[in-house]
Amino acid sequence: MTGGGFLARNIAGFTQALESVLVTENLCRISGFMQSLDPRVKAVTLLIFIIFVGLAQDFPVLIAIFILALVLVLLSKIPVAFFLKRLFIFIPVFTAVIAIPAIFITPGTPLVIIAGQAVITAQGARTAGLLIMRVVDSLSLGLLLIFTTPWTKFLVALRWLRLPSLIVDVLGMTYRYIFLLLHTTNSMFLARQSRTIGGFSGAENRRWLGRALATTMVKSQYLSEEVYLAMLSRGYQGEIRTLNELSLRSRDFIWMAFTLVAVSLMFWSIYR
Amino acid sequence: MDSTFIYIAKNLNYDYPGGISALRQICFKIGAGELVALVGANGSGKSTLLKLLDGLLFPTAGELQAFGMKLSESVLETGNRAAEFRRRVGFVFQDPDVQLFSPTVWDEVTFGPLQLGISKDEVISRANEALALLNIGSLRERPPYLLSGGEKKKVSLACVLSLRPQVLLLDEPTTGLDPWSQGNLIDFLLQWADKDKVLVFSTQDLDVVEEIATRVIVMGAGHDIVADGKPEEFLSDSDFLLRNNLVHEHSHRHKELVHRHPHLHEHRHEH
Amino acid sequence: MYVVSAPFWYVAVQRVRKVLTHRTVPALALFSAFTFILMMFNIPLPGGTTGHAVGGTLVAIILGPWAAVLSVSVVLAIQALLFGDGGLTTFGANCFNMAVVLPMVGYFIYKVISGNSDINSARRLAGTIVGSYFGIIAAALVAGLELGLQPLLFHAADGTPLYAPYSLNIAIPAMAIGHLAIAGPAEAIVTGLVFFYLQKSHSAFLSRQASQKDEGKLWFVWAGALVVLAFATPLGLLASGTAWAEWGANELKEILGYIPQGLGRMSGIWHAPLPDYTIPTIGNIAGYILSALIGIAVVGFLLWMLGRWISRKKRIKQNPTSTGVS
Repeated sequence: MTGGGFLARNIAGFTQALESVLVTENLCRISGFMQSLDPRVKAVTLLIFIIFVGLAQDFPVLIAIFILALVLVLLSKIPVAFFLKRLFIFIPVFTAVIAIPAIFITPGTPLVIIAGQAVITAQGARTAGLLIMRVVDSLSLGLLLIFTTPWTKFLVALRWLRLPSLIVDVLGMTYRYIFLLLHTTNSMFLARQSRTIGGFSGAENRRWLGRALATTMVKSQYLSEEVYLAMLSRGYQGEIRTLNELSLRSRDFIWMAFTLVAVSLMFWSIYR
Repeated sequence: MDSTFIYIAKNLNYDYPGGISALRQICFKIGAGELVALVGANGSGKSTLLKLLDGLLFPTAGELQAFGMKLSESVLETGNRAAEFRRRVGFVFQDPDVQLFSPTVWDEVTFGPLQLGISKDEVISRANEALALLNIGSLRERPPYLLSGGEKKKVSLACVLSLRPQVLLLDEPTTGLDPWSQGNLIDFLLQWADKDKVLVFSTQDLDVVEEIATRVIVMGAGHDIVADGKPEEFLSDSDFLLRNNLVHEHSHRHKELVHRHPHLHEHRHEH
Repeated sequence: MYVVSAPFWYVAVQRVRKVLTHRTVPALALFSAFTFILMMFNIPLPGGTTGHAVGGTLVAIILGPWAAVLSVSVVLAIQALLFGDGGLTTFGANCFNMAVVLPMVGYFIYKVISGNSDINSARRLAGTIVGSYFGIIAAALVAGLELGLQPLLFHAADGTPLYAPYSLNIAIPAMAIGHLAIAGPAEAIVTGLVFFYLQKSHSAFLSRQASQKDEGKLWFVWAGALVVLAFATPLGLLASGTAWAEWGANELKEILGYIPQGLGRMSGIWHAPLPDYTIPTIGNIAGYILSALIGIAVVGFLLWMLGRWISRKKRIKQNPTSTGVS
């Protein structure tokens, strides 16, 4: 991998990260079903479903949850193709890495024999299948939460869940400054790229990266001190006070009722 | 204690933690209604002085009084006096990425009043008022990284205005602004000012000084004050300006003659 | 995993608040943002491969171990929520491995090596390199432990593992080897280089941070516990010989000879397609987990195939007449 590749790859990485975030933020602004729910309700109910993904011992529950997720995607006016694409980008590699070997390794009754050596067992296939479904389900629910909740609303939910304000404040501010650092780092890379004709060696790139990171670190630290002064100047006294304007509406209650019913069904299905 | 002045500086000195001097023997008195321009070359200590005026830094020697009260670390630690001071003095940093540390514009503009314990309804109305003043209501939900340079500067000002301060401290407010925005800002500041308020701003742009300031404090290379008075007194003294690195010099060659003249402006307004 | 991480988080919040006081929020936020960026970098490694670093040990050295715990946790949380690629469900485990084990163990080893030497000395630099390397190895080993325990703890009535199917015997060595080869050097290189340039060009900054940093009195107790946790099981496995089941020491040497080469080639191949999967995925935990999982899978598969091949050879030696398909 030549020097030119190094710069281009990283620049592409930064830009893609930025784009990905912007796309997500846009989805959050669509007026769909999940977007309109209170973030606290969403977080808690989706968490409950994820717990059941973990508890489930067989396929019916897992498949039902996946179908529910798809229905919610539709109701929230998220493009289904986009959703599935994001979902399944991760799956194939995971499958190849964990699930497929599991098919062969798990001891049990043989199903298929390949090339006289490798054996696919029934238990192995089942393990793999369950694994895949679990991942698909948890990812779907996670993506649903992410695509329908803007970052700031999400922080409000965390505050309400009694997370220490230090953590929530740091989460919020980190998010804000990631974009600044992404931008300045990207500029550094672009500047270097514009000076590249033949490309640099791996060692040169590593050294440059070390220097660039060291400088960025020092600058970040300096920036944090100035930001502190800016916060002080406007009355900061250790804990950021916020508006926290959240209220439950009828659809939140409807959704919670539905969750309750679904949970009871799943519970019965698993533990009967 | 003279309580008629808003700021009284007595022999202020400030040294950086490493020991390097940033301000030396600074003395002045600023009263209500003044519009003070701090000018001086880079490194003359303008930003540091502004931070001292906002109680963000404290003098290593000398004394600074604001609103009849001596500014020190203990005074501004916590409590009502601190909150009152923070409410009365607003500081706009030069770098908007320092000033704008909240996730959205709305969060930023509501930050000040919220920290001061003002009631939620009041906070919301003040925030709306500040946004309207600068005509940026449409930027309410925007995160800072999606703002243009000019928008950032406006939001920086708005989030301080929501405090309804009596004193405005601005660090290089017009640097980086296009002429149109600059004009808008100047008009706004002139409108904002009144006999009870104080404006102190640092700048290197003498045109802005001419348009706004009722008083100029010139900082010299020695980190002290070399001049303090009405703008008219110095702005036409080209020697003075050159000496203190406030203007640059042009050199023209006419055959054997080298013609030097300082870069000065002369305004002609149409009224 | 949240249960195990919780006490660390609690102590971290208390300590960091005490040291940084009011400056905590902006200081941590900017440092976390910095760590986030660091984790995104695609680093060219000697030999032509690339890798990603976490930087947990670096933050621990500059800000202190507890601040590092919080910082990396914040970054993992944001990555999980921002990129939505599976980090959400594995957050608890990731946090423990990368935000708790990695910086604490890394910092522990760094302190052990650098002792009281001057902040600008070569000994300190050596400490950062070795510390960061073993910090990430420790994280990998603990991850292996977590994976390896799952079949033991969670399985259905007929013995089918409900989650990860690899036993301790496979999971731990697989994770270890995968990381010794790639993630370890990436981490050590990045941490070492940054620290080197801090020493060279920003020594005032470094000195100031060193004097302001506070670890708290009992940090080494916590860190020590983690060191034991990380290294005890694998060492135990090796010592008792059960790591390789019925294979003896000779086979062990044969296998170890094959694996790193195989891994090296595989990693070269694997890292090429991966960047095409939304690079954010690579720049964060998913990428990390992926390489870890790839390590497991590759090694596990190879080990298993080799094991079968070897034991088949053994059986053929013992029963020359049998054509044995097992």
